[in-house]
Amino acid sequence: MTYLRTTNNVIYLLNLTLKFMINFFKKRLISAFSIFFMSCLALSAQSQSFIVEGEVLSQENEPLVGVGITIKNTAQGTTTDANGHYSIKVPDKNAVLVFSFIGFKAREIAVGSQKSIIVKLEDSMVQLDNVVVVGYGTQKKVNVTGSVSSVTVSESLTDRSVANVSSALQGLMPGLAVSQNSGMAGNNGSELLIRGLGTINNSSPLIVVDDMPDVDINRINMNDIESISVLKDASASSVYGSRAANGVILVKTKSGKKNDKTQIDFSGSKGWEKPTNYYDFMDDYPRALTLHQRSAATSPSTNGKNQVFKNGTIDQWMALGMVDPIKYPNTDWWDVITRTGSTENYNLSASGGKDNSNFYASVGYHKQEGLQINNDYERYNARFNADYKLMKNMNLGFRFDGNWSNYVYSYDDGFTGQLNDMQYAIAGIYPYDSERNLYGGVMAYGEDPQAYNALTFYTNVLKKENRQEANTSFYLDWEPIKGLVARVDYNLSYYNQFFKEANIPNRAYNFQTESYGSRWFVSENASITNRVNSGYKTLMNERLNYHKKFNENHEFSAMLVHSTEYWFDRYLMASRENRIHPSLSEIDAALTTTQGTAGNSSAEALSSFIGRINYSAYGKYLLELNLRADGSSKFQAGNRFGYFPSASLGWIFSEEEFVRSLTDDWLTSGKLRVSYGELGNNSGIGRYQQQELLYQNNYIVGGSIANGFIYSKMLNKDLSWESTAVLNLGLDLVYLNGKLSTEFDYYDRLTTGMLQRSQVSLHLTGAYEAAYANLGNLRNRGAEANITWKDKVKDFRYSVNFNVSYNRSRLEKWAEFLDKGSIYVNMPYQYLYSYQDKGLAQTWQETYAATPQSLAPGDVVRKDVNGDGLIDGNDRVASTNNLTDMPTTNYGLNLQMFWKGFDLSMLFQAATGRKDFWINVYNTSNLPKQRYASSYEQLNDTWSWENRDASRPRLGGAATNMSETTLWLDDMSYLRMKNIMLGYTLPKKWTQRLSISSLRVYGSTENIFTLTNYRGLDPEKIGSTVDVYPLTKSFSVGVNVSF
Amino acid sequence: MKRLNFKSFVYILGLMFVFSSCDEQLDQVPTVDMSSSIYWKTEADATTALNGLCSDVRYLFDRDYYLDGMGEFVRVRGNSFMNTYGRTGRAYMGNWEIRPVGSMAGFDRMYEFCFGAVNRANYVIENVQKMVEQTTLPDKKKNLETVIGEAKLMRALVYFRLISMWGDVPYIDWRVYKNSEVASLPRTPIETIKDSIISDLTYAYDKLPVKASAIGRMAKPAALALRGKVQLYWGCWNKNGWPELDSFTPDQTKASTAFKAAAADFKSVIQDYSLTLFRNGEPGSCDALGKADVLPNYFYLFLPAANGDPEFLLYFTHGGTGSNQSEELMRDLAGRSLETGQAWVTPRFEIADRYQSTITGDFCDPLIPLDVATVKDARTRLNSAVNPQSYANRDYRMKSTILWDYEMCKGSTGKVDAGWVPYIYKTWGAKVTINGVSYTSYNTDGTNSGYVFRKFVRNYAGQGRSDGDFNWPVIRLADVFLMYAEADNEVNGPQTLAIDLVNKIRHRGNLPALAASKTSDKAAFFSAIEQERIVELAGEGQRSFDLRRWRAIERVWGPALGPGKASYDTYGAQVAKFFENTNELSYQQSYIFKIPQSERDRNPNLTQNKPYR
Repeated sequence: MTYLRTTNNVIYLLNLTLKFMINFFKKRLISAFSIFFMSCLALSAQSQSFIVEGEVLSQENEPLVGVGITIKNTAQGTTTDANGHYSIKVPDKNAVLVFSFIGFKAREIAVGSQKSIIVKLEDSMVQLDNVVVVGYGTQKKVNVTGSVSSVTVSESLTDRSVANVSSALQGLMPGLAVSQNSGMAGNNGSELLIRGLGTINNSSPLIVVDDMPDVDINRINMNDIESISVLKDASASSVYGSRAANGVILVKTKSGKKNDKTQIDFSGSKGWEKPTNYYDFMDDYPRALTLHQRSAATSPSTNGKNQVFKNGTIDQWMALGMVDPIKYPNTDWWDVITRTGSTENYNLSASGGKDNSNFYASVGYHKQEGLQINNDYERYNARFNADYKLMKNMNLGFRFDGNWSNYVYSYDDGFTGQLNDMQYAIAGIYPYDSERNLYGGVMAYGEDPQAYNALTFYTNVLKKENRQEANTSFYLDWEPIKGLVARVDYNLSYYNQFFKEANIPNRAYNFQTESYGSRWFVSENASITNRVNSGYKTLMNERLNYHKKFNENHEFSAMLVHSTEYWFDRYLMASRENRIHPSLSEIDAALTTTQGTAGNSSAEALSSFIGRINYSAYGKYLLELNLRADGSSKFQAGNRFGYFPSASLGWIFSEEEFVRSLTDDWLTSGKLRVSYGELGNNSGIGRYQQQELLYQNNYIVGGSIANGFIYSKMLNKDLSWESTAVLNLGLDLVYLNGKLSTEFDYYDRLTTGMLQRSQVSLHLTGAYEAAYANLGNLRNRGAEANITWKDKVKDFRYSVNFNVSYNRSRLEKWAEFLDKGSIYVNMPYQYLYSYQDKGLAQTWQETYAATPQSLAPGDVVRKDVNGDGLIDGNDRVASTNNLTDMPTTNYGLNLQMFWKGFDLSMLFQAATGRKDFWINVYNTSNLPKQRYASSYEQLNDTWSWENRDASRPRLGGAATNMSETTLWLDDMSYLRMKNIMLGYTLPKKWTQRLSISSLRVYGSTENIFTLTNYRGLDPEKIGSTVDVYPLTKSFSVGVNVSF
Repeated sequence: MKRLNFKSFVYILGLMFVFSSCDEQLDQVPTVDMSSSIYWKTEADATTALNGLCSDVRYLFDRDYYLDGMGEFVRVRGNSFMNTYGRTGRAYMGNWEIRPVGSMAGFDRMYEFCFGAVNRANYVIENVQKMVEQTTLPDKKKNLETVIGEAKLMRALVYFRLISMWGDVPYIDWRVYKNSEVASLPRTPIETIKDSIISDLTYAYDKLPVKASAIGRMAKPAALALRGKVQLYWGCWNKNGWPELDSFTPDQTKASTAFKAAAADFKSVIQDYSLTLFRNGEPGSCDALGKADVLPNYFYLFLPAANGDPEFLLYFTHGGTGSNQSEELMRDLAGRSLETGQAWVTPRFEIADRYQSTITGDFCDPLIPLDVATVKDARTRLNSAVNPQSYANRDYRMKSTILWDYEMCKGSTGKVDAGWVPYIYKTWGAKVTINGVSYTSYNTDGTNSGYVFRKFVRNYAGQGRSDGDFNWPVIRLADVFLMYAEADNEVNGPQTLAIDLVNKIRHRGNLPALAASKTSDKAAFFSAIEQERIVELAGEGQRSFDLRRWRAIERVWGPALGPGKASYDTYGAQVAKFFENTNELSYQQSYIFKIPQSERDRNPNLTQNKPYR
């Protein structure tokens, strides 16, 4: 109920805000500006002005709506209306009209004496004039010398039924590896890695939204984003120096266009979700008990005497289960605790602009109901961006992004929590008797009373988390001298997260004896817990930009920035036991007899100086120099500052005469890029790690708590920044007048002095945390290719993009002792290190013939690789071409087609180079004695004398059967159809009558199929022994309307 | 115009400098933990540092019941240690089931945290010593030396554990600043360490007060009792030898000197401080079979109500709910019906026969395990292990220590009293009717013997399973009585004082005094003392240390490559078998622990004990 109320309130509030904003702009500003305009026009109207009318059409003769028309060298302009018509008053015959529209080549037409001009605009294929967002500014793509990939956000991205921005980036750009680990609503953000695992410390890229670093990319409304750039090498990202060692993802949100009429867009979609794959838990309790029996029978020491389950119990269950499913249940738990998931997205935005101002405002709503019952996530977004020209040489603007999420879940991983894993959800428990409000417990003789009723945990043990964030920023820029711009940015972001848990007491009921069992699933005194995390971050940038062109051929620009960042976080917790009634969930509704509290705060500051110089000569020689100095409060004075320089060179060789003469007919543009630079990272240590502290360690004296302190840190006073040096070589080519473009990059990235706790003697570790040290060097080398083909055949326009990236890492140095394992010097980080086996022993003879390892037929025979007569860690074999935790190569293939209002896009994504062991609690062949949720594979596919073709070892066999050997090793390569979307934009002439300028309907699917050899849940998930939350595939339909 | 623009440029630069001055923000002061620069000024600082030390040493000892898994009477199927950050129980990380054989290589964390405690002690001793040197006030000096005395007692206690388990270990008695100071340390001979322990304890004995200033603080008897115990062990090692510690040469002269010194220290504890056993050593009353309204005094000795009793000489305190310093006895020893206890630690079936008859003062007929499913009269047959009557008229400490079928226990759920739960093996929380009253039986998935512990388990609700506030005894007066008897018997054979003291312990179980045959000679009296140690100190982690110092593992389990010994449950099923066909090497490994290999990989000077080479 409260939720519904909050929802309504929020929607009401958002409505109000939006109304206010629209009214404010429409009525006041616009009228104010139009007065201003009118007077300007009035002034200019003195000469022989006349009106020019006309139409702007595409090459397909479709009218183009919203084309900007300006009179060259004036501020006057207009746009085409819904029919592609325009009319503009020109001062005289010498006027030149400029027609510009995104995605089309601009055209200039001298008016002369024409009164009516019909213009056809050509699609612009060539991307060279595109502008990309780089650190603290934008650059023409043609001038970029660093390694930057970017994507312009369009409907083919926003209309996909993905839960968050991070997941939507998969397969779009080379060098950006995106992997989703769970389909859990609210917890399905993807891990982003740029060019491999750069460091053993935090290796996630820095996310910067509108110049504000550290924004959670998964809380942004995809519809608000204009473009996303990924900065991959040192030169591109070095202006973010100390934070950018793992690359930077720059997000630019939309803003209204100048001289653009107010446009209102609405989009809405609804989708349905199914798991991509799931474990087939056995809904047949007698069979599960038989498995226990079979498993226990193999234990030689007890000769089966300790059999927990008797034949009588099993037979009785089998017979009566058909008669009385409540007393002798065979529960299909997966059925009980999952549902068809759903997603909904609604977004409403308005944007527009006049000469002196522009704005963009939006509200969005996203809701996801997860596959698991009671796993819900919803998010509200509101954004307001505006820029205003104060004076001819002074601008100000602000960005506001507010978001609010409500998240309900049971366990952090969804289905699994400590000691309450799905492996204990046995089929012999009746989930719930709704008439009497009873949750079933164990009933079979011999079954462990602690077995698990999954339903009660996913119903009565729920956590509710809501979070509000506001990211606001303000800027003022001023150009006192031509070319010199001073700018101040101030950003403030605030978050508040409230967590509440008030579990509902309930206990196991035995439907056979009609009495409660001994187990309380949630005990009677279940506490109410509240946790509040709140905090803010501020950022102040003072910038100077200088830009100057010397005699046509030399262009120079410089930038100087000082930036201060400050973080503050606070935590507060309170709990009470003994509620006055289980239906009440607020703290005051509990007695004060047992209560708990906790609270703390922490802060961090970073102060940086950034300088950048760009120089280009003759439009073909490009140079960029960067330097950043960072001081972090994490380090002690003296070692506080790190200095990170970089340089890059670009050569647009296609501009050279001697090249042009050879390639003019096929090469449109060619550029060679080289960059080298250093970046820093301080994420490896905590905020107060480098300070000498005494910790509380209390004792009880005289029956009450007495203060106690211990000293438990060793400090390394010389600790300094971890740094990453990146060399990047790139080649950008555009062929055939822009139809084909290719980008190739090679990089060599060496992270040195990785911050890590040093290893110290066992004689110290019991008292002291070891000091941190700059310990290891990790090198990543790789190559990337991005190939795009764009063309059209009559009305049919299409594009194909293929991108691939390959990465290889090598741990080059480790200053301390490293034991043999998948992390070792001169090996790739987390390479595959596995026992080898000969498969399952089929006969006793085979077990005798093998190196002794206490086996029986049906056990895995491991190979004695080094032949020393022992099977131990030395018999593992390394495979340097495969990693266990991530793929080495990522591929993306993106197809887009447009034909007469129809649009079709397809995205394929693939990864290779990962192999991992498929070993978890759900596929083990060594079952516990009691309470285990078996699967049919454990029944049908485990070795026995009658089933010698089985692929898995015998039940209850040697413990080593479940060790990391080739039997369990799977190739995690996969090819996935990420997305297909088919849309249709209704013809203008139909929609115009409803004053709708554009109406598009579409259908879309995600993850429709996956090709893989992996036997487990999903090849994209991180290996886990317990997590069973699947990824999802979805189907959705939606509509986009513009007014 | 140009001048104006230049001016604005200057303004901007000026503005940037104004903002640049925000760099003081780079000095961030921690908010929750204290900076060490403002410490070590007052006596209170010395005491709080001592508290920090005691707190850490506590966690090395307050789960000593796990160590009984290496003896023959207690099963430790696992332990309740849950995560790396938990302090309690961390000494057992990586050590799951603890067994009489094969477990001694798994105590790396115990080794590590013992040295952790040594470093903590050194830090306190060195800093307080500096304060002593700087002060001229005699009172302050005295108080500070008391603090050092207690810190040295802690260091001695920890080193005693280290040498009892690993023999020679590196001896560190200074504050370590850098890894290089200890990275290549060799092992110090056990005798050198023993001497340092004795000298620490002598200092502690000199400086500590006669009576502790508060519960939780130590007094002279603690230092004296521990010094006696160290010498008793030193005597045993010299008398019985320790061949697995091949750097050690036993010496009979040193043995007898040590036994004498031990006896003298124990005697002083017993006679000079007017200490008495809990409730004067009276047995108290014992309820009828199947009832638990009135329990013997011995049961109450192990409840928080006994905290502060003079019987506890050397002990560690715990706080209850919310103190963050609780013991987990209920979680480890009780079953699910008591605050969802996990019963990691349960009595083995074989302990039952150790409880003597209050009538004869001697052993009863052995219990006969019978399966109630196949034997019709199992519940009523004479001496049947599942016939409650077989447990009549036993040592009061039996009812105080274990639950057998149809014994009652107080259940509790969510800190609320859940009424009586009768313990009946293999019923797991079933509905049962006893004498017309309906109960839900005691649910535990943790035992495989037919018994669970009553000793140490609270018989009232109000605290969670991890909220225990019992002060864990490391040395009790009763232990000192028995150790005195043992040391004195080694030197003089059975003597009246020693026999009296053993009889005082027996009286607590309402047993008659020892029959003359039991004190007829040194060997017989030794057996009587061992028997009392088994019963009196059950679950207190003493048994495996006793077996090792007496070199009694073969006596208990049989010779190498022999049949070993099986353990059964009350139904007669074999639940475990140890030392079957076990080779000499495994026996040797049961006598000494393994120096952590991870440290030896780094430090070649650190030698390994013989059976692990």
